[in-house]
Amino acid sequence: MTGGMTGGGSAATPADLGAFRAHVRDWCRAHVPDGWRRAQTGVPDEEFVSFQRAWFQELRRAGFAVPHWPAEWGGGMPVAQQAVLYQELAAHDAPRLVLAFVAIHHAASTLLAAGTDAQRHAHLPAILDGEVWAQGFSEPDAGSDLAALRTSARREGGTYVVNGQKCWASGAAHADWCLLLARTDPAAPKRHGISYFLLDMRTPGIDVRPTRQATGESHFCEIFLDDVAVPAANLVGPENEGWRVAQRTLGAERGMTMLELAERLAHGGFRRLVDACARPGPGGARPLDDPLVLDRLAALETELTGLRALCAELVADDRPGPADASVAKLVYSELLQRLTDFAAEVAGPAAHTELRRPLSSGWESGAWVLDFVGSWEWTIPGGTSEIQRTIIGERGLGLPREPAGA
Amino acid sequence: MPGGDLSEFHDELRAVAAGLLGAAGAGPGAGAGDRVPVDWQRVAAAGWPGFEVPGALGGADATFAEVAVVLREFGRAAARGPYPAVAALAVGALGLLEPGPGRDGLLRDTAAGGAVPVLALDAETDDPAPFRLARTPDGPVLDGAAGFVLDAPAAGRLLVPALDPGGTAVIVDTGPRADGLDVTERPVVDATRAVGRVAAGGVTVRPESVWRFRGDPDGALRRLRDRAAVAMACDSLGLSEAMLDATVAYASVREQFGRRIGSFQAVKHACADMFVQVALARKLVAAAVRAQAEGSAEAGVAASMAKSYACAAAVDVVGKAMQLHGGMGYTWESGVHVYLKRAVLNRSLFGPPALHRRRLAERYRGSAERA
Repeated sequence: MTGGMTGGGSAATPADLGAFRAHVRDWCRAHVPDGWRRAQTGVPDEEFVSFQRAWFQELRRAGFAVPHWPAEWGGGMPVAQQAVLYQELAAHDAPRLVLAFVAIHHAASTLLAAGTDAQRHAHLPAILDGEVWAQGFSEPDAGSDLAALRTSARREGGTYVVNGQKCWASGAAHADWCLLLARTDPAAPKRHGISYFLLDMRTPGIDVRPTRQATGESHFCEIFLDDVAVPAANLVGPENEGWRVAQRTLGAERGMTMLELAERLAHGGFRRLVDACARPGPGGARPLDDPLVLDRLAALETELTGLRALCAELVADDRPGPADASVAKLVYSELLQRLTDFAAEVAGPAAHTELRRPLSSGWESGAWVLDFVGSWEWTIPGGTSEIQRTIIGERGLGLPREPAGA
Repeated sequence: MPGGDLSEFHDELRAVAAGLLGAAGAGPGAGAGDRVPVDWQRVAAAGWPGFEVPGALGGADATFAEVAVVLREFGRAAARGPYPAVAALAVGALGLLEPGPGRDGLLRDTAAGGAVPVLALDAETDDPAPFRLARTPDGPVLDGAAGFVLDAPAAGRLLVPALDPGGTAVIVDTGPRADGLDVTERPVVDATRAVGRVAAGGVTVRPESVWRFRGDPDGALRRLRDRAAVAMACDSLGLSEAMLDATVAYASVREQFGRRIGSFQAVKHACADMFVQVALARKLVAAAVRAQAEGSAEAGVAASMAKSYACAAAVDVVGKAMQLHGGMGYTWESGVHVYLKRAVLNRSLFGPPALHRRRLAERYRGSAERA
């Protein structure tokens, strides 16, 4: 573990936590914008972006934007407090940091784990000031087999010249910078010829085109790279070691994101589902009066409780097991899918009239049908559920690998 | 979360327990289901029945957390013997009673290994006290029956939860051979377990054998049912871990189509699902054990989550273990069936998963009223 992105490690006493919880509650009551859900449903992109920027600064002023960063960079919150923070933000239905997500998690964890001092100083403060990041890893022919990527970076003096095409870059339309994997040695075995770069999205030769996804939204983008010059100073880690850098930072970042997402799913999504089940349907009956509904809810709550404990441990543990991050991601994404599936079922036909999700909301916005459709955004990207199971089997359990070439 | 010292102690205890139970012929490699009970004197010599007994009475002044470590190892080894009934239930009940010469003496004897008390808690019904104590000219008389009492056939003493003539829950200390008391063994499919029906028909009880709970008696009975549920969850967690390990070991050596079967994605992914279920069960059981040991207000919720999840997951996990062992897994000799039967029994005892989920769901009504 090299990232150090676990905030502070010191244990907080229950009394400290109680006081902290009260502090966050007061803060939420004073700062979560009234009616933001309605106001942010179906707004144009620019409005979403300015709302996200303003909310990020609001959280930053309170010390809540990057609690998981090391103290020297503006974080340092003990893990137990982070869990409380995320619980209260979810319970008060605070907007999520959607636009800054890759910046505060993936970019920060990469810079902290493998970046140079100059890179950290150039970007970590800038991220706090609102620098937006995207991730340029996947390609049309390099999805689950990410190491098959073909975007090339050819060294010419002090710069690399990059050519190729990236896809599924979330938020790239608004990104200032991009985490980029490109091939620097076409002759080497596929995992050994890849390098990791920081790409300035204002560089000439970059064309970003949104991809409309299953929910109708378009936050994923394709990035076309045509003779794009990247200074050698923007290389992260040694040349041709990019695969290892990515592997190392992906696991570190996963713990951070999972804690927030698990608490959001439990304290936002599940509560919203229970409330929805308590409302009478058109026939006057409430789903909550149906013992089968109660049984399903209790099963979901139980699994969510287990997931939250797994995620808290993943963040708190200095030396997590080799498959712990994969377990958390797999459990979270499949639980999100089952919860939104069940919600769409009990919410009935009326749920189908919710045609848009409030931007800035969680993955369980309460527009259940779209939430369910959108849940594949978790079971597919970031290593599909199948890839996670393979990682768990091979790294977690030590089962034999697939024969080479398979 | 336990401090570093405690978790080191638990690791040590786990290793000692695995060694002792393994040497007693239990464990996944032990084959068929014809197991002898683990020698009680060795269990007592290890200090396991006395974990929660006060030091002044010869116990270890420890908590349910240590009992839970051993319960999990009993599950992992699919070991026979009344440890769960004695340590989790009887000692648990005694700990909730007013101190007195009878109770204190029994705790002392239990810690020393001389007494094997069993709590006549019915694992089949949700009735916490199916016995009644009547006032008669000859003193108190006990009537009632519990149909499914874990380890009743091994009981040296019986602790019978009953309602006294005023309707207050008490514990009646009696012997399995008392006049009018009948303990009938009920053979079950799981050959690692002993179960009996305990029936009392006009059993005369000495007044000094009627022991009262400290504090709220109904709350005490609820706590005992929660402890029983958590004990089953610990057992199921241990047996799930054993079957996951055995399956991974088998899939790593067994070859078909010229490959080790663990390299096939279908097998690997099934093992990954077992791993995930075990990981979640471990978290929920740890939380439930902690809540029991601390006597927290959320102990009932945590117990129901652990019982419903870990005991259902164990059946899935052992089922996959049997499937992935192929024909070998279906043989008597492989011993996988021992674990399957035990997992299925654990799921049924002290409330099936659906009952515990119903308990959890009662909390959603608050939400219903808000809406």
